[in-house]
Amino acid sequence: MNEFGINKELQSLQDEIKRGFDSPPPPEVQKKRPKIKTVKEKTAQSDFWQQDTSWLFSWIGTILFLTLWNAIFLNKPAFKQIATGFINTVIISLQVILFSLVLAWGVSLLLNHLSANKKQSLQFMVTFFLNLIRSIPQIVGILFGYIWITSLSGTNGSLGNFLSFTLIAIIISLFIFIELADLMLERIQHFKKLDFYDAMRVCGIKESRIINFHILWKNSRIHILNKLISIFGMAIFLQCSVSFIISVGLSMEIDLVSLPNTLGTLLAKIDSKQDILAIGYAITHPGYIPQLFFKHLQGITVSFLLVFTLLSIYKIAGGFAKRYKL
Amino acid sequence: MSRMISNIQIHTHNRTIVQIDNFSLEENKITFLLGESGIGKSILAKAMYGLLDPDTLEIKINNKDYVTHLHSPEVQELQTNSFFVFQEPSSHLNPLLTIKEQLNEGSIARAKDEDGILRYLWQAKDDKVFKQLLELYPKPYRPSGGEKQRILLAMAFKKIHMYTSGQVEGHNLFVFDEPTGSLDNAYRNTFLKGLLATYIKKPFTILFITHDYSIISEMTSQYPKLLPHTIFKELRRSKEQDKINDENAKVLLHDFSPDAYLNWLTKGTAITTTSPNKTPVLTVKSAFSVFGRALCLYKDDAHTTPANLLINKGETVYVKAPSGMGKTTLAKVIMGLYTADSFSMVLDGKELTEKSPTRIWEKYLWGKKAGMVFQHADESLNLEATVFETFSGLPMPDKLTRYQLTTKLDELFEGPLSPGFLDKKVAFLSGGQKQRLNLLRTLILSPSLIILDEPLNGLDFSSMKKVIALIENQRKKGTAFLIISHNEEIVQTMVEKSSIWYLGE
Repeated sequence: MNEFGINKELQSLQDEIKRGFDSPPPPEVQKKRPKIKTVKEKTAQSDFWQQDTSWLFSWIGTILFLTLWNAIFLNKPAFKQIATGFINTVIISLQVILFSLVLAWGVSLLLNHLSANKKQSLQFMVTFFLNLIRSIPQIVGILFGYIWITSLSGTNGSLGNFLSFTLIAIIISLFIFIELADLMLERIQHFKKLDFYDAMRVCGIKESRIINFHILWKNSRIHILNKLISIFGMAIFLQCSVSFIISVGLSMEIDLVSLPNTLGTLLAKIDSKQDILAIGYAITHPGYIPQLFFKHLQGITVSFLLVFTLLSIYKIAGGFAKRYKL
Repeated sequence: MSRMISNIQIHTHNRTIVQIDNFSLEENKITFLLGESGIGKSILAKAMYGLLDPDTLEIKINNKDYVTHLHSPEVQELQTNSFFVFQEPSSHLNPLLTIKEQLNEGSIARAKDEDGILRYLWQAKDDKVFKQLLELYPKPYRPSGGEKQRILLAMAFKKIHMYTSGQVEGHNLFVFDEPTGSLDNAYRNTFLKGLLATYIKKPFTILFITHDYSIISEMTSQYPKLLPHTIFKELRRSKEQDKINDENAKVLLHDFSPDAYLNWLTKGTAITTTSPNKTPVLTVKSAFSVFGRALCLYKDDAHTTPANLLINKGETVYVKAPSGMGKTTLAKVIMGLYTADSFSMVLDGKELTEKSPTRIWEKYLWGKKAGMVFQHADESLNLEATVFETFSGLPMPDKLTRYQLTTKLDELFEGPLSPGFLDKKVAFLSGGQKQRLNLLRTLILSPSLIILDEPLNGLDFSSMKKVIALIENQRKKGTAFLIISHNEEIVQTMVEKSSIWYLGE
């Protein structure tokens, strides 16, 4: 033992290091360092105004501007149709959000319950049914749903607006909610693997509270909300696509008169088609461009509303994910 | 350079992470930086060393922009000459390079005594032990946590030897951020011995971040002559922050007297853990098997006397075992979270075996007869919930009111707490506060048995004393405790010798 109370093993380590090393690197190597980035003044951009909020307000602002413009320059019946079509589309999409959330929440709780209680045959059946829905292309499924709704209105007379909206929303939700259910199940499974879940269980906290409150509400609501924003966009896109397909006469059986107007049905109308063709004409005849905003307002407004709404939702969802680092 | 630093402020764009007015290190001294986890020890060291990203954090050092600090010749020289051993070894290693390649990356490639260092850190008689390891690509499960930690220490040693041999000159700072978290005491002491031996050869600046207070005993008992070169500092919250009245994360660096700890250790925790009331709360049959591994509980360190684990009402029992032996697994089997291959116990009169279904624990035991406090508060609490929500949903006869909870928390945190404390997000509490909250969530239920898995993990000295007092108070009320911990030095003073069991194969 030496004066520091260090024994032979230590001495052998010291002996090891006595052997020396290579010569030091040339000074230019030591000094060469990557350029360090300058500080961004993060506080300059306020918490509120980020990509999602900017796009949300741009969307609302643009719609208000379009409303004003159309109120002045578009004839009253056409203006009313566009307003009704847009409002109907938004209402149905909001209903889709609600139904998708309810379905996804219910299914994820059910699957979790079946898995926890080792009810494998029931779990298999539910999963099989979900996979069956998953295997049907959304647009085809919704198209058949529309056929069912129109046949229903054919047998029961005209369905009321509320019932038609609700049925359409349920049909669309059926083909969309699985994405949300997958997300919820994934979140539940992730948290169940952590000590978080067991630590709460051994404290006697009920599993339903751990899953509903602690996992889904407290730890996943931002993820769920982000998915719901995407579902809103998907719902608009799908209902417009299906309405458009039906309106251009894909099926002789379906009469859209009994179903509510949406942006898709408006787009399929002959006036809108002519207005959209005018855009092509304006490309080769630039002098005609100003006329688009006065003479062809219906088609231009509907197509712009659709494209701009989908773009805004895409940007809002992206900004939301960025804001919360999802 | 390190003497000059005194003021560090670190913010995100909407929140202060840490700020300190008196952060300094003495050159060529060994500084042990103690303090509870989450208080800001690591981030302050990283800020000083120049490892933080000025693009994501707003940092000021001595009221100057962080970029100025990063560009200063002192910091550039320091980074060239020094090494930083990170707390989490897995995050330090590149999964796409073999260990050997990583041990020879950058400037440390020029250090030649790699085998000697590895042989020393592994205490290996045969080089095969570590040579095989060098060919591996790091995976989450292999090398083990302890092996990964020793690989990082080997890298640090290589750099230190470059300095001690004169290969590099000038300012230096060797930061060891919880370097022994995954090592058992024997390897920890080996590392410490090696570090100090190299220091004796040619002193350099060491910042040793830890919340393992038992290192104080090791230093004072084994290396008394090095104490004049050693500084013990503790990072603590400033007074107002201790009451958790604001979001302001202001901390202060205090001198920590080793005597305060050593005196407390010898006399402060003398607790009578056996109870005159011999009502058994838990009896576990000595031999059991879990995950295909046969384990046994013994009454002696030499593992010669198998004995059933017995805890009576109002007793504290300590189960000792080397790291990785299965202490936490045993706790989880007792709590019904793992199913053993063969196991038998009686918990508060209820006989349970490996065949007992989980719903028995769920229905009769969890939160009523038995509770368990998990090792890592960060992982066992819902960080997104508020303090009040942490306690909601507990199976208590009467719903816990905000007033009752505030009174309990006042006791634990030495209040008075701010009115907004109950609505504060758990994520914004410090590591020690989280650990105390984690403990209170189970204590408040007053079950017959509480299993504590590393209850002193991440606590500073003052919180440690509070937690021990809290456990002792609850024990006096009749609760039985089963403690699992690698912090032998402290836990052994909490229990009598007859209350220690040893877990082995």
